[in-house]
Amino acid sequence: MTPIGTTPASDPPRVADAPPPAHGTGGPTTGLTPGLPPAARPKRPHHRLRQVVWALVSAVVVAAFWSVDISWDSLGHAPARLVHYIGLMFGPPAWGQLPAAVSATMLSVAMAWFGTMLGIVISFPLSLLATRGLTPVWVRWPIRGFFAVLRAVPEVVIAVLMLSVTGLTAYTGALAIALGSIGTLGKWGYESFEAVDRGAIEAANAAGASRVQVMRWGVWPNAQPDVLAFWLYRFEISVRASAILGLIGAGGIGKMLMDNIQFRVWDVVGMLMITVVAITMIIDQLSGMVRIRIITGRWDLPFAARLRRRRTARAIASALDGTVARAAASDLDGSAARAAAGTADSEDRRKAEE
Amino acid sequence: MTTLPIAVPPAGDAPGTAGRAFGEHGHWPRKPRTWPRTVVIVAVICALTAWSAIAIQVDPATLIRNAHNASNTLVQLFQPDYTFIPDTADALLETVQMAVIGTAVSVALALPISFVASRVTNPSTVVLGIARFIMNVVRSIPDLLYAAVFVTVIGTGAISGVFALVLFDLGIMVKLISEALDGLDRGGQEAALASGATWLKADRIAMLPEVASSYISQTIYVFELNIRASTVIGLVGAGGLGMLIDKVRTFYQYHYLSTIILEVLVIILALELLSSASRKRLLL
Repeated sequence: MTPIGTTPASDPPRVADAPPPAHGTGGPTTGLTPGLPPAARPKRPHHRLRQVVWALVSAVVVAAFWSVDISWDSLGHAPARLVHYIGLMFGPPAWGQLPAAVSATMLSVAMAWFGTMLGIVISFPLSLLATRGLTPVWVRWPIRGFFAVLRAVPEVVIAVLMLSVTGLTAYTGALAIALGSIGTLGKWGYESFEAVDRGAIEAANAAGASRVQVMRWGVWPNAQPDVLAFWLYRFEISVRASAILGLIGAGGIGKMLMDNIQFRVWDVVGMLMITVVAITMIIDQLSGMVRIRIITGRWDLPFAARLRRRRTARAIASALDGTVARAAASDLDGSAARAAAGTADSEDRRKAEE
Repeated sequence: MTTLPIAVPPAGDAPGTAGRAFGEHGHWPRKPRTWPRTVVIVAVICALTAWSAIAIQVDPATLIRNAHNASNTLVQLFQPDYTFIPDTADALLETVQMAVIGTAVSVALALPISFVASRVTNPSTVVLGIARFIMNVVRSIPDLLYAAVFVTVIGTGAISGVFALVLFDLGIMVKLISEALDGLDRGGQEAALASGATWLKADRIAMLPEVASSYISQTIYVFELNIRASTVIGLVGAGGLGMLIDKVRTFYQYHYLSTIILEVLVIILALELLSSASRKRLLL
């Protein structure tokens, strides 16, 4: 935290009674004017609240470690055991069961697709009704509350609730995914409807459009690419969710995994894990390809687009020479990376929230 | 794909009449023919939906029939028994403990790993590639699956839950932090390297302070995720409220079940408010 540009040797000792600068930026007495010798170093800002928060957080963490019902001394041989089990799973995985795994995965994907479609059909009209400017408040807020509640309940818990009504089938899983996706799709829907340019809506209103016509001609054409992309995106999330729902018994690859874990058939478990990861990645890429097509109008695989972007940035950096040019290139690279990180960040968050 | 406004005049159209409305620049552009594409897309979507419906054996009739049978259950579900709340205290405490420990451990582990997994702070492409690959694999496995495996390997209880949470968070945390590092300005780091610092020192002096605020805000976010996750992973035996949910479900105590779910709902909503407020304060 040493301020740049001050060499400790030539610095006069700290003056205790120097006026505390606001927010650590140099006041008039810090001597940053060129030509003048550096004056007293500003005192470090004193954050009472920050200290209290740190103390509190540390206390909570320590208390949690102290009080939790875990025998920490048994942790010593955990790594060795972990390595042993990883060896059992992947050395080598049981590829003979792959056909069964693929058909179980197809069931999971079917579950995800049906659930998402059902969620779209239900959430779409609801999110239109929840859009500000299109409907009165007493319609809007109950629907938004409904979305919020659905988003707060984890999908697995919804599935557990539904088991009592429909029994433990893939159909239950699909219904749980549908309910879960209503919450997120509804929210993304009304947010993108509200982000629409007002011009078209005003034009439609001025031309005497009814409420439905305003939605059809003023809102929908503008929001369409975003909303379609969200639908696909939600399908990607649902694929993950369907694998998880299988773990509590709703069929598909998750059920196969759980059965094999419980019977300790580790080589099959390893194979299934690889299958789950591979299929999720493939579906992500396919659906991402369609999403990129909807938004940019070009067919492109997400990972290929990312690679190309990075390569371009690097090519620019190496083509330009000299310090200034390199600085400009690194800035360009940085901003590209920042933009990419921004989207990836929000996407990852959305995905993780499920 | 779309026809430009300078369209060929449609055959049989008298140039005089159309020209009156649009000057001499051209005629009313022909609407692009999009319906064949629309038909194909709709057909594909319908086919996929039909296939999925057959695969999962959709049967609305069962739903209605069972709903009639299960009306008793539903009545119980809609009458949560609030006297059960004291009995949930232990499980609730365990959920919070698991979330706190999981967050603390994963966040501590994630910081050095993110520095290894960022292009900006790690000069070695080989190590970078290995680190990123491992983290991608770790991230692609869902939390409940980790929990299920650990419950079988280590045993039932909070310890499996903590392990599962740590691995699950590590994947998310490293991705978010290493990407935040990727986007940082490298000026300070270059200056440090130029003045003879090692990479370790340069990263510590120039990059760590810059990434600190995003690190703290992601920590809060991961804690929020953990509270959600730790209520769920108990369903496969990894401790916390989930185990209680599983227990009351097997005994068909649905009025207890709805109490627990209400509790989860309240906690998650409260936490969401708290974390969004604190994150907003951090950014200011």
